[in-house]
Amino acid sequence: MALPVYIIRPAARCLRTPRAHTQFLTQSFSTTLSRPDEASVETTSTTTTPAPPPPPPPKLDPNLITTRKEEHLLAATGRTPIGSRRRRAAIQSTSNIPFEQLPYQCFQEARKILAADREEKLVQIEEERKRIKKVQETPAERLGGEMSKKGKLVAMQKYLEDMKIWADINDPMVKKRFEDGMGDMNRPIYRHLADKKWRQYRRKIQLQRITQMHIVPDLLPHIDPVAEVTLAFGRHKIQPGAFVDSRISADPVRLTVQVFDKGPRLVSVVVLDADVPSPETDGFTTRCHFLAVNIPVTPTATSLPLAKFKEGGSQCILPWLPPFAQKGSPYHRLSVFVLQHRDGKPLDLDRVKCLGRDGFSMRAFLSQHKVVPVGVALFRSIWDEGTARVMEKAGIEGANIEFLRKKPEKLPYKKKDGARYRGYRKT
Amino acid sequence: MLSNLLRPSHRPTQSTISPTHQFLLAPTPQQTSTFTTTSPTLAKGNRPRIDRRITLIRYHLHHPKTPRPLRFSRLRALRHWTIHRAAMLYRQQQRRTQELELERQYNAMRAACEELRIGVGDGGRLYRQAMVRKGIFGGKAQSEGGVLGGNGGVPIEYARAQTDGPPRKGWDEGWTRG
Repeated sequence: MALPVYIIRPAARCLRTPRAHTQFLTQSFSTTLSRPDEASVETTSTTTTPAPPPPPPPKLDPNLITTRKEEHLLAATGRTPIGSRRRRAAIQSTSNIPFEQLPYQCFQEARKILAADREEKLVQIEEERKRIKKVQETPAERLGGEMSKKGKLVAMQKYLEDMKIWADINDPMVKKRFEDGMGDMNRPIYRHLADKKWRQYRRKIQLQRITQMHIVPDLLPHIDPVAEVTLAFGRHKIQPGAFVDSRISADPVRLTVQVFDKGPRLVSVVVLDADVPSPETDGFTTRCHFLAVNIPVTPTATSLPLAKFKEGGSQCILPWLPPFAQKGSPYHRLSVFVLQHRDGKPLDLDRVKCLGRDGFSMRAFLSQHKVVPVGVALFRSIWDEGTARVMEKAGIEGANIEFLRKKPEKLPYKKKDGARYRGYRKT
Repeated sequence: MLSNLLRPSHRPTQSTISPTHQFLLAPTPQQTSTFTTTSPTLAKGNRPRIDRRITLIRYHLHHPKTPRPLRFSRLRALRHWTIHRAAMLYRQQQRRTQELELERQYNAMRAACEELRIGVGDGGRLYRQAMVRKGIFGGKAQSEGGVLGGNGGVPIEYARAQTDGPPRKGWDEGWTRG
């Protein structure tokens, strides 16, 4: 009966390398001496050398240490242990096999099938590349005209991009890395996964807020966001459409623009207040709080702190103006638009420089310049206790103005004598 | 009541029900009097009606034959996912090869018929003979003196549409062919 156990064991021993065991071995080699003659050699050598070498510092792995003493030693080196003590203990006692090599037969067979499929897909990708090259070299007359050739090439390119995704979509390591947030956004598969995840929930929320608060169609007739835009003021992440304290929004917002298609591109950023009260017209108008153009954005370079764009810079047209809502005016919708330049061409600065803050029209901007709205974000501001100070600091006048509703005109009915109402006696 | 009929016999007791499912249990009547534990609304007979669907969901959730939910650790779930994807991929590949094989067979048949029709040069006589469908569902096999194409197979009368229930007339014992 012991035989099968004996047979299975060596394989398990190859896969598992318990740390405690190896540590014990190394310690026994370094500290104790098994043979007396070795000891004598050691002693003679120590007598000849003037000072014994200091003991090497204990190896401290922040992933593995568990005792308080080890934690203190690690802290002395300026590092902190990773995770909980329970987690570190668990890692210490479990075998450290990489995920792909876990010895489960079905899993390994599955991996083989997936790997074979991937190889096949890679061959197909190469073939498709060759085909595209061939079509590109063929004169347009033989393919039924320039338009036909272009359409054919677009379709083939799309198929190639799809193939690139299909080659990797079944890889468990890709899935794991993406879930850990370690995905490389330069690779199409991670961009695809990120896009899918965004569209599942966050984009829907974003669209809901835009339509609920009538950014569409108040400012734009329509928008189909293809890039994720998130807002943060310093540490404060802003949920789509949230009210932001005026003291927090006094500093420029930090945008995170995540695009899901490859390559660099140029964008413009517009921050627009859609609810500026205008007493003259008894209505509302718009005000541009920020405008910067020709900003490069790639799938990996996503952070876009607007504080970077100072007045007088080549990209900044209108610097950040703190959002403010005067007392009595309804809440102001501050929307952030990310506009992608068509064909990646920079905008002509002279044409943009003449734009003013008040009455900025998004529709006019879109029609006059070659830009497409790709992303939108939204927050709201309302009069609060800090607004007056923020306005004073920014040099904005009008903090003392309070908007009041007009009293509705009385209806032209004659008021009846009060004596007729129950419990009311005219004195 | 229907819910009483549907109540499984081996229902776990209340104490074993997890707190997350407690809300599914019938609400305990709030004690309003010192003498009776039955609230006046219940005593009057107009007890709060619980949606029957909720009752049924409750019973089936706690039925001992309901399998426990799949709970996997992260890596286990990932392995499960990998195996699932591979199985789906394998099935897809199999389906694809079957379809291709069927398509190949169909094309070969069509090519052969086309060859008979045009290529042989007998004015399509062979082709017409090949297209005869007489007796293909029955009759004696051609080798046993049957008509051309007879294969001794299942009579066409048996190829009735499959039905859920038996026919109204029952089994016809006295039936003979032709």
